[in-house]
Amino acid sequence: MKSRYLSDADKSLNNSENPIFSFWFTSRWFLLIALLIWLSVIVTNGMVDSWGRLANGGENLMIFIDESLLPPDWSVIEPQAYPVCTEPERLDFTCSTAWIGVVETLKIAFVSTIFGMIISLPLSLFAARNLNPLWISYPCRFILAASRSLPSIIWAIFFVILVGLGPLAGILAMTVYTIGYLGKLQYEAIEGVPRPPLDASNAMGHGWLERSFGVIIPESANGLISQAIFMFEYNFRHGTVIGIVGAGGIGYYINLYLKFLQYDKVIAYLVIIFIVVLLIDYLSILARSFFTEEGDITRPSWWGVFLPASMIDLLKPK
Amino acid sequence: MGSQFVVEIQDASIGYSMKEPLLSSINLQFSKGEIVAIAGPSGIGKTTLLRTIAGLVPPLQGSFSINGKKGALRGELGYIPQRLGLVRHASVYHNVLLGALAGHTSPWFPFSTKAKQLTLEAISSVGLDHKIRTPIRRLSGGQQRRVATARTLAQRPSLILADEFLGELDEETMNLVLEKVTNYVRESNSTLIVVEHDISRAKKMADRLLIMDDGRLNPFVSSPITMEVTK
Repeated sequence: MKSRYLSDADKSLNNSENPIFSFWFTSRWFLLIALLIWLSVIVTNGMVDSWGRLANGGENLMIFIDESLLPPDWSVIEPQAYPVCTEPERLDFTCSTAWIGVVETLKIAFVSTIFGMIISLPLSLFAARNLNPLWISYPCRFILAASRSLPSIIWAIFFVILVGLGPLAGILAMTVYTIGYLGKLQYEAIEGVPRPPLDASNAMGHGWLERSFGVIIPESANGLISQAIFMFEYNFRHGTVIGIVGAGGIGYYINLYLKFLQYDKVIAYLVIIFIVVLLIDYLSILARSFFTEEGDITRPSWWGVFLPASMIDLLKPK
Repeated sequence: MGSQFVVEIQDASIGYSMKEPLLSSINLQFSKGEIVAIAGPSGIGKTTLLRTIAGLVPPLQGSFSINGKKGALRGELGYIPQRLGLVRHASVYHNVLLGALAGHTSPWFPFSTKAKQLTLEAISSVGLDHKIRTPIRRLSGGQQRRVATARTLAQRPSLILADEFLGELDEETMNLVLEKVTNYVRESNSTLIVVEHDISRAKKMADRLLIMDDGRLNPFVSSPITMEVTK
């Protein structure tokens, strides 16, 4: 056999008589993971001055839950005293701070996802390596990386300084973050488009417009739509946080009651956010399932939101 | 001035690394109106040769010319890759239109009624009128090959490169596809270069058959083209 046809794996098998090498070869993954765990423990130990603090954690948690959190104060879903609620009695919950906050956060998330996608899609088409030379794709990647490098809460602080308190700052902050985050997901989806259609397009002599809108976007459309829906869900979850710095939404009320140490109201808001997130999560999985290939995914069920995929398969009726 | 050959390859080496070229010192010419089949063992570089002619892989050495120029102009070259290269999530119409646009519009203004007309004609010539709005992923393998053929027919290129484009087709579809493509080549005096693993099928369709072996598998062979059969 000629040596140039030997692959690396063949060569390593030839070394298998050496006992140290063979021990390393068989247990290398185990040893690497053990090394990583050992390193993490050493680094943590260097940062923690007293491990005894952990012992009090459980007790403190019980006191906090018992004295401050429970029971949740559900007055947050009652109409506010001012401004006076003009809705009929059945709909008076829509005058509550929880409803106003959630709806505002949803609006911010929706609008910023749409604006973000409008800007990120062209940018990601320019950032994709399979469509453009390096001198075009790298500057675009730089722009996307820059807008993603700061978390949306930092962008929110920045925009609160620029345009003042309120939802406008929230929309701008989330839009900028969406451009960076969604843009990265999009150019990765674009770069994942299989080679043959691009080859055929290149050979035929298509221009950039035809290649982008005729081949790339239709071929990756499912991924792009599914990512935009995911981004909306992500923006809602993060929208609850940016309100804390005054950029509108339910976070504003959470911050307000945190300042007054009214944790029972805060926990009521958190329960509401949790329920809305679960609902959006479910709708997001459902919506995304329409954009994946038939047969690859079945329509989600309620328990799919909570359970890992392997358990859902077991629970499904045969 | 103009060469009589559509494709002319001189002293070329092809492959992905200078150290181990797949094929070296090849000299080949393909004329107008000719159907040439290339056969040979797998891994020898047939597909890479086709991709190099298509301008998708740069040659390691030597020169490749198409219609006397270094590369094909827009719409001049039609390419059917082994996996057909169709946009799977788009409709039959969309895919065939991509061919027509390349052949009959400018890259920065890809709209024309002539392209639409040619698209509809090509789809109907391969008998897929009833599937015009169906996405490619819902078509059978044979139907997908018919779409790839229609795309090339709508483009009307002067050179067609097809990589095992008949695949494992049933007799009826194979005859239909073959008939459409050969008729087009004869009528328009264009050139078809096809990679084909089935030698009997290759002999049946081609005017000229190139059998390749560069000596890697058979050390007594010195030239990359071991046998050239002309009808």
